[in-house]
Amino acid sequence: MTRTGHAALLPALRVQLRVVGALTLRELGTRFGRDNLGYLWLFAEPALLGGALGLVHHLSGHALPGGLDAGTFWVIGYIPYYLLRGVLNRGPSAIAANQSLLYHRHVTLLDIMLARDLLEGAATAGALFCFVLFFGLVAGEWPREPAKIVVGMLLMLGFAHGVAMLLATGSVYTEVFDRVTHLFTYLSLPVTGAFFMVFWLPTELQRAVLWVPTVHVFELVRDGQYGTRVPTHHDVGYVLGWVAALNLLGMAGLRRARRDLAL
Amino acid sequence: MIALRDVRKSYHTRLGSREVLRGVDCAFRPGEQVGILGRNGAGKSTLLRLIAGVERPSSGRVERGMSVSWPLGFAGAMHYSISGADNARFIARIYGKPLRATLEFVEDFAELGEYFGMPVRTYSSGMMMRLGFALSLAVDFDCYLVDEVVAVGDTRFGERCRQALAERRERSALLLVSHQAATVRALCTSAAILDGGRLTRYDDLDQAIAVYEAG
Repeated sequence: MTRTGHAALLPALRVQLRVVGALTLRELGTRFGRDNLGYLWLFAEPALLGGALGLVHHLSGHALPGGLDAGTFWVIGYIPYYLLRGVLNRGPSAIAANQSLLYHRHVTLLDIMLARDLLEGAATAGALFCFVLFFGLVAGEWPREPAKIVVGMLLMLGFAHGVAMLLATGSVYTEVFDRVTHLFTYLSLPVTGAFFMVFWLPTELQRAVLWVPTVHVFELVRDGQYGTRVPTHHDVGYVLGWVAALNLLGMAGLRRARRDLAL
Repeated sequence: MIALRDVRKSYHTRLGSREVLRGVDCAFRPGEQVGILGRNGAGKSTLLRLIAGVERPSSGRVERGMSVSWPLGFAGAMHYSISGADNARFIARIYGKPLRATLEFVEDFAELGEYFGMPVRTYSSGMMMRLGFALSLAVDFDCYLVDEVVAVGDTRFGERCRQALAERRERSALLLVSHQAATVRALCTSAAILDGGRLTRYDDLDQAIAVYEAG
């Protein structure tokens, strides 16, 4: 990267936008191209999960605490988790998969990560939008405050993107991240907040789980879906703090990794 | 102009740190055709990658006052899971070139036939080289970095590359690394020798080749 003055900031930004745009289009082709079922899984997985768990609840006759509809609860909870998992799991392989593109000086590691994660975010948002529409039309379960769902998804994307940049940085130095990330995302599922609500828990435990930033995100998304029908706990400022810190660390890490990367 | 200022590069290997370049100082001016001669393992490709900005020096600086291509060779610069045509589109987008004109130029120059629409990973190494070369000519750089392979053989494509480079002589600079003096003689007007991690430039091509062949 050549160091240039502030005068070159705008052209540089234009180049970056161009590169991220090109990378996103290319990523779109390889991820969701004609030959694979990427698009399909995006919808099938939350639908299968929500459908199966909804059925279990229906057959067992147990309602969810707060009388929430089981289908919307599992599906709407699963999709932000799906975004988190998708971005994190693809973090450690991001650099290796695009290494040859670093032959173009314009292409930075940050561009590569941005392109991948924005695409993942857009795809997941599309799926969420369809499910929300579906539940609204079929069951009359319209979200009370859709803006909160949008903010929640953006926060989740920002959080996951930050962690993914750190994982990608680590992948330059060791293979460990590539091996353990999948395991970790599955094992962490119970504590992310995807499948429980804070008000279900005893006070002590509530205080503990609210340290976990993603718990706030899921609560915010449910607040957007259910409104005041159930109590929700979230602090957007707290999550933003995490997002900012992780992103700064992640970008610093990528800068360092780029220097040490041998192609 | 491209200037290298006390450029050093070491790699960490299992046997510890190995310094490949030990303080390279030199400048390349627009319109120059310089052959960089060096034995296998002398660090020629490393030098090109540093000039291209693909890798960063461990210390020292590389200054680029003109647009510099990526190192043209067998590897890199393309995405292997997409087709040659998609690669051309990608390159056009990141370098801000017109899509259709780039596609047409690359398809015509690379002569890949129906392979142009197939994933690059199905290509032979010769086809990849042709695609890479066509892509870089489509971008139209001020300086081309060539990693000897292009000059390989007396193929028709090799001849076309030589021609394309010769046509650009007026405006483009060329840095070619090779271990073969003959290649450098065919394409360059001056030469430098990379040995022991240092680069020595000679204004006289014959003198450089004489020194290289004696070494």
